Amino acid sequence: MTRRRIIEIAAIAGLGGALITALVVPPERTQGDLARLLFVHVPSIWIAYLAFSVTLVTSALYLWKREMRWDRLAAASAEVGVFFTGATILIGMIWGKPTWGVWWTWDARLVLTAVLFFVYLGYLALRRSIIDPVARAHRSALFGVLAIIQIPIVHFSVVWWRTLHQQASILRPGPLQMDPPFRSAFLASVVAFTFVYVALVMRRMQLGRLEDEIEVRLASSHQEVAGAAVAPPRIEGAVDSV
Amino acid sequence: MSLPFWSQAGEIARADLRSESRTGEVMAVTIPFGAVALLLIPFGIGTDAPLLRQIGVGIYWAVVLLFGMLVALRRSAAEGPAQRDLLGLLGVDPAARFAGRALSTGVLVLAFEVVLGPIAIALYDARITGWAWLILVVPMVAAGLALLSTLIGSIVGGSGAAPALVPFLVAPLAIPMLLAATQSLEGLRLGESILAWLLLLAAMDLVLAIAGVLTARPLQEVR
Repeated sequence: MTRRRIIEIAAIAGLGGALITALVVPPERTQGDLARLLFVHVPSIWIAYLAFSVTLVTSALYLWKREMRWDRLAAASAEVGVFFTGATILIGMIWGKPTWGVWWTWDARLVLTAVLFFVYLGYLALRRSIIDPVARAHRSALFGVLAIIQIPIVHFSVVWWRTLHQQASILRPGPLQMDPPFRSAFLASVVAFTFVYVALVMRRMQLGRLEDEIEVRLASSHQEVAGAAVAPPRIEGAVDSV
Repeated sequence: MSLPFWSQAGEIARADLRSESRTGEVMAVTIPFGAVALLLIPFGIGTDAPLLRQIGVGIYWAVVLLFGMLVALRRSAAEGPAQRDLLGLLGVDPAARFAGRALSTGVLVLAFEVVLGPIAIALYDARITGWAWLILVVPMVAAGLALLSTLIGSIVGGSGAAPALVPFLVAPLAIPMLLAATQSLEGLRLGESILAWLLLLAAMDLVLAIAGVLTARPLQEVR
């Protein structure tokens, strides 16, 4: 069994376990069952942070080593990160409507998370716009390094500005403000989502390798150019000059 | 013997501005287009004088941000491979090229801000206080926008998608500048200190200038 297959099985099993744990936890005192959405919302944004941090590190590694595998990893991680940021926003909106009464509010954390989503969507758009693989890797690596500045701003926005979004419950100084059953469910979700992230990135990297192979094969194959099949009219009795 | 860094940057900026004065793209097209946008927005949100007086400054900065990017994308600043090669063969430092291009764009964005400012004040009856501070805020925003647009423009390169891609990449990253610009004017109106916002603008300008200079050489290596 390959390492990738083991991680994929672990991701599926982890998701199953996390789902059971999230359903077993008693309803939250003030929010009721709605609080269960947070077992998806919070791990999603953590995975997004992780994914974009991996993009930063691998972009820097590409600039240093100039090895395409780092570029593939940066791209794969950014794609997964964009997916999880989108999921965070969507689930947050679903949670926000019954809790705050609105789908969206002009809160610093919400706006900055949306900005983060668009910055990395731009990173993916930049990659698609450049055909040459080396130029694409180089230019997107530079942007990947530049884009990371958003993450600390997003995370600490609830501390720096007065916002509607609740303060951090786990990544904060002082004791953990969470009951043990909730803590276990959170932990299960985070572990499961991390396996999902690794599995998705590995799959995407494999796809990237195949894409590169196809590009190389197409470039090296001597295909006839368009119009090659069109021959000049032959005049009877004429001889070739060569 | 090659020219010193700042002389090279100055020459690039002068050549850019000369090229712009010939085409007149910013003065004849982008600035009037920005003025049309200022005129058009109230039709969408309602021509209510007190409301426009309240949000006029914000609209002005949003127009500056969105149209300032068009200034950076002007055709007169577009650099083909032949021009890049020529500058390289002449021994022009890529970082000086970045600085020169950002300088010319900054001058044009500043012109854009200065021309559109009175138009916004007239149209929206915006009340501006603390004029002396504006001498700091307006050029700092112009510099930041020029540096950011030039940096992203050089990362995107001569790709066919650049006219759409550069604004898409610049706009989210320029939000702190928009925030600092609007909050500075709001702070002045309320008589509060705007030092924190000025520091944010200065920090952004500095970080972008360093990033632009550091990435100029690696970007020259790729087509």
